[in-house]
Amino acid sequence: MITFDKVSKKFPLGNTALDDVSFEINDNEFVFLVGPTGAGKTTILKLILREYLPSSGSILVNDFDVSDKKFSKILALRRSVGIVFQDFKVLSEKNIFENIALSLKVINSRSSEIKKQVREALTSVNLSKKERVFPAQLSAGELQRVAIARAILGERQIILADEPTGNLDPKTSWEIMKIFKKLEGKRTIIIATHNTDIVNSLQKRVLVLKNGALIKDVRKGGYEL
Amino acid sequence: MKEIFTSIRRTPYQSLTSFLVLFFSLFLSITIFVSLSFLYGILGYVETRPQVTVYFQTKISEIDIFKVRDELYASGKVLSIKYISKDDAFKIYKDLNKDNPLLLEMVSADILPPSLEIYAKKPVYLPEIAEYLKKQGGVDEVQFQKDILDRLLTLTSIVRKGIIIFFAYLILMTIVVLTTTTLFKIAMKKDEIELLQLLGASNFYIQKPYLLEGIVLGFFASFISFLLLLGMIFYINPFLSSYLRGMPVLSLNLEVYQLTVWPINLTFLAITFALSTVFGMGIAAIASLLATQKYLKV
Repeated sequence: MITFDKVSKKFPLGNTALDDVSFEINDNEFVFLVGPTGAGKTTILKLILREYLPSSGSILVNDFDVSDKKFSKILALRRSVGIVFQDFKVLSEKNIFENIALSLKVINSRSSEIKKQVREALTSVNLSKKERVFPAQLSAGELQRVAIARAILGERQIILADEPTGNLDPKTSWEIMKIFKKLEGKRTIIIATHNTDIVNSLQKRVLVLKNGALIKDVRKGGYEL
Repeated sequence: MKEIFTSIRRTPYQSLTSFLVLFFSLFLSITIFVSLSFLYGILGYVETRPQVTVYFQTKISEIDIFKVRDELYASGKVLSIKYISKDDAFKIYKDLNKDNPLLLEMVSADILPPSLEIYAKKPVYLPEIAEYLKKQGGVDEVQFQKDILDRLLTLTSIVRKGIIIFFAYLILMTIVVLTTTTLFKIAMKKDEIELLQLLGASNFYIQKPYLLEGIVLGFFASFISFLLLLGMIFYINPFLSSYLRGMPVLSLNLEVYQLTVWPINLTFLAITFALSTVFGMGIAAIASLLATQKYLKV
């Protein structure tokens, strides 16, 4: 479970990214974060991953207080979260297999286990024939599928996706969403997006943000501002 | 290890740059190390050259002279003592004046004094030895050039300190250059490091490939530097033999061990190789750790 309790995030120069935001997300829930640019969607994802610390309020992720400075706990938190970026962040010097395997290598998994799980993940995102290919040889949609495969690997119970379809055409965007849809009920999925079509069609829980404030929390809703 | 070689293969220019910086730094270090070892050896040799010469009265017996000699050896401050008897002195005199029969006729062995030429282990012992000799019975004259010795000691002390400062500067410069090069290399991998941190990689996991790559490159750079140096030493060996003629052995006094530098020998080469390898690998590892540290804040 993810709990935000009166969370605010102010940056040193004075701009407020989040202002007194509270919500709870249950295990295996599928949630969209929507709102205009600068509303605070990415800030929420970064707070969950402890890339940022809250200026005030508290954030609990699976009972771990993200303000805790103990390094081993921070590692445990990050190892339970998978993240998908708008710009994919797929490493150009590594092939597809190696990129996806990173997710398991950082937790020191055994080589045989890595091979097995990476191949399963590649199959689940329809890239099983491209494991030795380098990122430069893939399309944007394929790169995003690599990023998703990397995010879902291992024991990562929470998947965060920051504008995962932002750089993709509508058809590819739907293919990506289908992969997330397949994970529904098995992982907690939080997707920050501007894609109205997808949010309206899927009718999942929607948290609507504006100017750093949570203005709506709709259990089964569409893209409304 | 396979991953390290894959990384080197996939980023050949970055790896080549790191390797060349390491190689040039290490080659310079190892060359300077060997040169300084020779210089130290030569300093040590020069410092043992001054001597105290004590001339005894002609009537003194050899037994008394040998008693003085044995006491000097027993002090532990003497490297060697050469006894020159009246006959030896006469032979030397004859050699020196072989072209002047008149001088040879005027002198016999009886009127030449026996003497001891004393070489100290350290030049600082010489004044003490001279004082001791002056107090002995049967001593006619003690020759000891204090001014020259003082100047020599001052000079060698300055050279020694200069060598240490220069070597420390060289090590510092190598670390700075390597750290900067590694920093550039790692700066290009900033995104990868950030991604690994977000995936939950430990600091050591992030540092490990850079550390291992540094150590591997350090080893090869040391190895090639050593081979090149070896070639150079053998190339200039005839010149060294001629230049160092008259200095049969040069050695470094390492308190616990007397390391022979010249003639070139296997022990000296092995120690040089071991030191350069440890230095190369160590310095590359330190540079990698310093460079990655910047990106490891959570």
